[in-house]
Amino acid sequence: MPHKWGLAVDLDACTGCGACVTACHAENNIPTVGPDQAARGRAMHWIRIERYWEGEFPDVRLRFRPVMCQQCDNAPCEPVCPTYASHHTEEGLNAQVYNRCIGTRYCANACPYNVRFFEFFNPVWEKPLHLQLNPDVSVREVGVMEKCTFCVQRINAGKIQAKAEARELADGDIKPACAQSCPSKALVFGDASDPDSAVSKLRRSSRGAGLLEDLGTRPNVTYFPRHTEA
Amino acid sequence: MDRRAFIKLSALTGSAATLAGCGSPENHVIRFVPDDEIVPGIAQWKPGICPLCQAGCGLQVRVMDADAEVVRNGQRGMMKVAAAKKLEGAASNPINRGGLCPRGQAAIQITYHPDRITHPLKRSGPRGSGAFREVSWEEALAELAGRLDALAGAGAPTLAILTRPRRNLRQTLVATFLERFGAPSPLTYELFGDDVLRRANAISFGREQMPTFDLTRSNYVIGFGADFLGTWNSPVSQSAGYGAMRSGRPGARGRFVQVEARMSQTGASADEWIPVRPGTEGVLALGLAHVIINEQHRPPEAAGTAGALIEGFAGGLADYAPDEVAQRTGVAAARIARLARDFVERRPSVAIIGGAPLAPTNGLFHALAVNALNALAGSVGQPGGLFFMPQAGAPPAGRGGLDQAAAGLLSSADPPIQLLLIDEANPVFTAPAAWKVREALEKVPYIASFACFLDETSVLADLILPDHSFLESWVDARPESGALVAVAAAAPPAMRPLHSTRAMPDVLLDLSRRLQTPFDPPLPETFDAMLSESFASLPESEAGDAWTVAQTDGAWSGDLPQADPAARPAREPVRFVEAQFDGDAAQYPFHFLPYPSQAFLDGSTAHLPWLQELPDPLTSAMWSTWVEIGSEAAARLSIREGDMVEITSSQGSVRAPAIVSPGLAPDVVAMPVGQGHETFTRYASGRGSNPIAILAPMREPDTGALAWAGTRVRVARAGAPEGRLILFAGQMRDIEARER
Amino acid sequence: MSAAPVETAAATRQINDDLLRPLLNTSWRFWALVAVLGGGVLMGFCAWLYQLYHGIGVWGIAWPVFWAFGITNFVFWIGISHAGTLISAILRLVDAGWRRPVTRCAEAITAFALMIGAVFPIIHLGRPWLAFWLFPYPSERGIWPNFRSPLAWDFFAINTYLTGSLLFLFLPMIPDFALVRDKTTGWRRRVYGVLSLGWEGTPRQWHRLESAMGIMAVAIIPVAVSVHTIVSFDFSMSPTPMWHSTMFGPYFVAGAIFSGIAALIIAMAALRKFLHLEAYLQPIHFENLGKLLLTMSLLWGYFVFAERLTTWYGNDVAEITVLNVTQRGSFAPLYWTMVVCNLVVPFTILSIGRLRTITGCVIASFGVVVGMWLERFLIIVPSLGHKFLPYSFGEYRPTPVEIMLLVATFCAMMLLYVLFAKLVPIISIWELKAGGYHAIEAARLPETPLANVNL
Ligand SMILES: Nc1nc2c(c(=O)[nH]1)N[C@H]1C(S)=C(S)[C@@H](COP(=O)(O)OP(=O)(O)OC[C@H]3O[C@@H](n4cnc5c(=O)[nH]c(N)nc54)[C@H](O)[C@@H]3O)O[C@H]1N2
Ligand SMILES: Nc1nc2c(c(=O)[nH]1)N[C@H]1C(S)=C(S)[C@@H](COP(=O)(O)OP(=O)(O)OC[C@H]3O[C@@H](n4cnc5c(=O)[nH]c(N)nc54)[C@H](O)[C@@H]3O)O[C@H]1N2
Ligand code: SF4
Ligand code: SF4
Ligand code: SF4
Ligand code: SF4
Ligand code: SF4
Repeated sequence: MPHKWGLAVDLDACTGCGACVTACHAENNIPTVGPDQAARGRAMHWIRIERYWEGEFPDVRLRFRPVMCQQCDNAPCEPVCPTYASHHTEEGLNAQVYNRCIGTRYCANACPYNVRFFEFFNPVWEKPLHLQLNPDVSVREVGVMEKCTFCVQRINAGKIQAKAEARELADGDIKPACAQSCPSKALVFGDASDPDSAVSKLRRSSRGAGLLEDLGTRPNVTYFPRHTEA
Repeated sequence: MDRRAFIKLSALTGSAATLAGCGSPENHVIRFVPDDEIVPGIAQWKPGICPLCQAGCGLQVRVMDADAEVVRNGQRGMMKVAAAKKLEGAASNPINRGGLCPRGQAAIQITYHPDRITHPLKRSGPRGSGAFREVSWEEALAELAGRLDALAGAGAPTLAILTRPRRNLRQTLVATFLERFGAPSPLTYELFGDDVLRRANAISFGREQMPTFDLTRSNYVIGFGADFLGTWNSPVSQSAGYGAMRSGRPGARGRFVQVEARMSQTGASADEWIPVRPGTEGVLALGLAHVIINEQHRPPEAAGTAGALIEGFAGGLADYAPDEVAQRTGVAAARIARLARDFVERRPSVAIIGGAPLAPTNGLFHALAVNALNALAGSVGQPGGLFFMPQAGAPPAGRGGLDQAAAGLLSSADPPIQLLLIDEANPVFTAPAAWKVREALEKVPYIASFACFLDETSVLADLILPDHSFLESWVDARPESGALVAVAAAAPPAMRPLHSTRAMPDVLLDLSRRLQTPFDPPLPETFDAMLSESFASLPESEAGDAWTVAQTDGAWSGDLPQADPAARPAREPVRFVEAQFDGDAAQYPFHFLPYPSQAFLDGSTAHLPWLQELPDPLTSAMWSTWVEIGSEAAARLSIREGDMVEITSSQGSVRAPAIVSPGLAPDVVAMPVGQGHETFTRYASGRGSNPIAILAPMREPDTGALAWAGTRVRVARAGAPEGRLILFAGQMRDIEARER
Repeated sequence: MSAAPVETAAATRQINDDLLRPLLNTSWRFWALVAVLGGGVLMGFCAWLYQLYHGIGVWGIAWPVFWAFGITNFVFWIGISHAGTLISAILRLVDAGWRRPVTRCAEAITAFALMIGAVFPIIHLGRPWLAFWLFPYPSERGIWPNFRSPLAWDFFAINTYLTGSLLFLFLPMIPDFALVRDKTTGWRRRVYGVLSLGWEGTPRQWHRLESAMGIMAVAIIPVAVSVHTIVSFDFSMSPTPMWHSTMFGPYFVAGAIFSGIAALIIAMAALRKFLHLEAYLQPIHFENLGKLLLTMSLLWGYFVFAERLTTWYGNDVAEITVLNVTQRGSFAPLYWTMVVCNLVVPFTILSIGRLRTITGCVIASFGVVVGMWLERFLIIVPSLGHKFLPYSFGEYRPTPVEIMLLVATFCAMMLLYVLFAKLVPIISIWELKAGGYHAIEAARLPETPLANVNL
């Protein structure tokens, strides 16, 4: 059976710290755009921590919600892409082929989660910051759409490693950068086609739900809401 | 095509290529033969230690090949180098357990920062002008050694080294150097230091040490102002415990209540968030203790010495009845009673105090009160409670009193410090302007700095001996808090240095040998030799001796017999005294609450572009500074989101755009620390303003620590938005919650 | 359609003189106009080169509003293109005699507006140099465009419409080209000789032309309807609030015809004035087109009302958010300007017979052009800025580059039109003659039975 990658986000454990955001930048060669471009809405955060206030002082609460590409099984970003740059893989990922992307930005308009980001200019790494670039991840050029890949380079590396060691992939072998970094272990990644994987067990819980599930996108990220006692 | 045509065409393309080659400097670059064995495309994982805060999280550094521009024998060229690519939390490290905070993730940018100091520099213009010229290491070291020689003997006490309080062997080395030189111990300064809590722990529990919380097994946590999931103490370790407390145990979920005047990132995760009047946190803690004792959940004696220290504790804290406490703190009496019951009934429970409650003038009282509450509930040293981490050898403590040192310098004609060495400290930025640190430093005849970056302090130096980055040198840590076992971490360089820099400890050792009268007996030859020596006393494990284990895993950890708590001198019982605030309430109606920002802490990481562009968890601001003001106060002062506001204290004023926050008490304005650098690389310089500048020089009397929450201010709208507030987020509230 | 003209020699000469004059005489004013408009186009071209060099970040688009001026211009100009071919085809099919002076200037609008509109899906790309990946060309890698993507449908729809429209424009020009060929010498004779494709006016040729026009008139109507339906699919196929609507097809087609008629009225009024065609483009033409514009205005208003009502009544949070932000929030000034331009102004002017003059019609038409551009903008931007997750709500501000490109499109349209009117008789001479419709009679038009041919 092919793998089917899934992520569980435990909102009860997430502290909104943002480690996952920086980890994703570091892993995936995501450029910083600088203050001027950030002010114009061009900051790129493949994963973002949404924060929502509820209530008024003093009975006020705040909720965090990490949002990355939901790797929808029924992804609205895919059919609209005229070049197949946004397409579905056998392992249930929404893949983004940078080389095929011509920059229509249609996919980003169609994505209900607004998790697609666009290279409005050629990215700049002021030397020697470029030495940090991850050679396993291509650096995108101007005019290309990009988004969370579930760290597909790590998925592939994990599979190759297991193959080299002539063994089956074990649950937990593969961790996307965000999940790896998360101090409170709020992000659980794994193979949803393996019924014994941690993520499968979580997904079987009735407490989990997909974000904007009613749109029919069939997301592969499952959110576990924060408990509300009192 | 015939053969002639083909040859013509080839010639044409050939010369075109040559011409193109001439235009592109890339094609002239010389490629050097690399020094190391590098397998392209294959990652190596090497241990490391995060240098950005005292938590000392363990790293796994991913090292791979990269093409770096280097200079070899004066020739510039490209070389394949083994370069650090990514930092990850070391899973085997008992402190961070695989995780890292966003600052730890971004630490790699220190190494590759475009504005690193790449050579020794000698001042070539007036002090503070930033004019330096490159000098050779030989010249620089000879000059500094000469200066030291001039002090040796009688002048020795006029040598000072200014650092941050650090828990590592580097600090030991600095102290040893000074001691052997005959100079006083290192001067240390940390803006958000926790000396008040350490002192309280020494008084309550006999341990002058930061506490460790066993949150993994807690059922109930009350935080008093401690941003323990964001910036305070050992945030990654605490977050790991918190995650386990919330979701790690099937069927059990710990409850978390946060008491604070401004909702912090940590408060945002609380099940119950309780705004409290600033400077009364300890009163609330004793209010809980009152209920616990008077409802006979626990007898007052259960609190032992920690309780006995509080006036009236044995008698049931008559002054702290809920109604009374409600009046003083602003928390309803019924709520106090409920919290108290929950605290004992849901045990194991623990109370955590940190941050702002420790930083008014009566901070020590609040810490002692919370200690007493923990002791009363039986949370000290118990699973799910508060521990003191066994220490694998702590570095000698430095001496505080930067403010007095500065005052001394300013008041005397003959400066008591003739030669100042600065290592990893930037007090010109992190100390209140009222301390006049800059002016004082300007009076020091000679300053040498080991800085990697030209910050507000190192720009005043006469000589800069740039340090390696933490990935290029031997590093170590002896964390004070964050695990239930002792941890000693050490890691060799993960990569070769990129620039002509030298590791500060080795420079210090080198200097010790260059003195006219070298130290006798000499200090160890190298810092790593000193490090390995320091591991010799640690017990062996199955994996080998501690030094070997540390080098392969990045950290040795294990149980160490703990010395008994130090005997404490008997003390007069303490009682609540109102906090003293600078500025009278009529003229300055707001409490001013500077807080360490999630991205920049005290500003020492503001130079990292990933952190500048990291949206703040509560406001989503990037590349900005801002002032948080409560909704009600904002409405009263006609301040709207983004408007420029002016915050004025008795010491001066700062301007910043406003963020109207629902999570702030009406008489408080809060401002993140970290921005407002004048000179700190291209990314941080000239961006926003620094709230520390306007703090009044208030002190906690017992420790002398800066009471950074002890200033009152007034707030005025200063103008329309100037576009300096850069937010990532669109809306504050979720769609379900908004009115249709 | 009979090619048996009833004409007097004088009338024929008059028509020939009036309609060939612009081709044969060129004043300095023409060159001045071409220079100004050409300058505008050049400015747009420079703006585009600047954009190519720096990246599309020089536009104001940002996360999450990834489409704005570019796609607005695209939809707007494709909409304008519905003026000509569609209207002309319908009028031909119902054999409305008054159409004869109108058809060619209408069809020319179609061709040029389509060309301008079709440029935008290419220049709005992040990597326009790869635009050919949108086209189904035989690639070595065996990769075709994704035929499920509405952008691929656009490619086919627009190309089909453009080809059809060009044919539809060209076919009835053949006899006129032959006329020019016969009346001129030198290069004109050679060029128009080629263009007239050997037209001799034999009965066989007339017959073929007539049947070709008959077929084209029928075929082009579904193509035109489908083009704007497909353009509307660019939006309605995405699950984006206020885009995901079954109504978008007819709504867009109606809007397109609406804006198209307005453009036609403006073009006709300009031709009438500057080429002195008062005798051919009569008040009755404006009157009739004005009525048509009024009808479309009401139809447009009905669509907007129906769309807004169902959204409001349906009360889906995401859609209501977009609805509110357009009607009451930050987009309200633009929204109500649009309503005034598209409904209030045309309705007031055109429903009152006395105001339905040439000037009245032109004023109403200017309103509609502005209003319909705003309509396209307001369909795109508020929705993209307010999709489901409020944390990701965003804003949009245009940059000078986008504004220059917008201005350049209008310059380009006018430039092409001016050049066209210089090179081709802007009123179909032979059709005019075939309709027995010559200057002398036309001057008394209101009394002729033809004038009663109304919609
Ligand atoms: N993943 C991946 N692997 C590949 C390929 C791929 O496409 N992808 N391509 C394959 C192919 S086609 C090739 S040719 C190989 C190339 O593989 P390598 O031969 O490993 O090529 P380079 O990366 O150029 O490394 C050559 C090293 O030699 C050093 N060098 C430069 N000049 C001299 C010199 O005068 N003397 C010595 N001793 N050293 C010098 C350079 O600094 C550089 O570090 O890689 C193969 N491996
Ligand atoms: N900047 C830079 N330039 C270099 C070098 C370098 O190190 N750096 N190295 C030089 C050297 S040593 C070499 S050998 C050349 C290599 O240069 P190229 O031969 O251009 O090498 P690649 O880019 O690795 O591969 C070319 C294409 O082949 C495709 N491909 C992969 N498998 C197949 C297949 O089975 N069939 C077909 N038809 N296509 C396939 C790949 O997707 C890729 O698009 O580059 C030279 N140029
Ligand atoms: S979340 Fe958005 S980008 Fe990701 S698969 Fe779904 S629609 Fe596509
Ligand atoms: S922007 Fe790229 S990925 Fe998105 S639809 Fe266009 S071509 Fe496809
Ligand atoms: S899975 Fe990888 S790409 Fe996606 S958000 Fe996490 S770190 Fe980024
Ligand atoms: S790292 Fe983990 S806890 Fe921190 S914001 Fe991301 S998901 Fe939440
Ligand atoms: S808490 Fe963060 S900054 Fe501090 S040591 Fe750990 S990773 Fe580094």
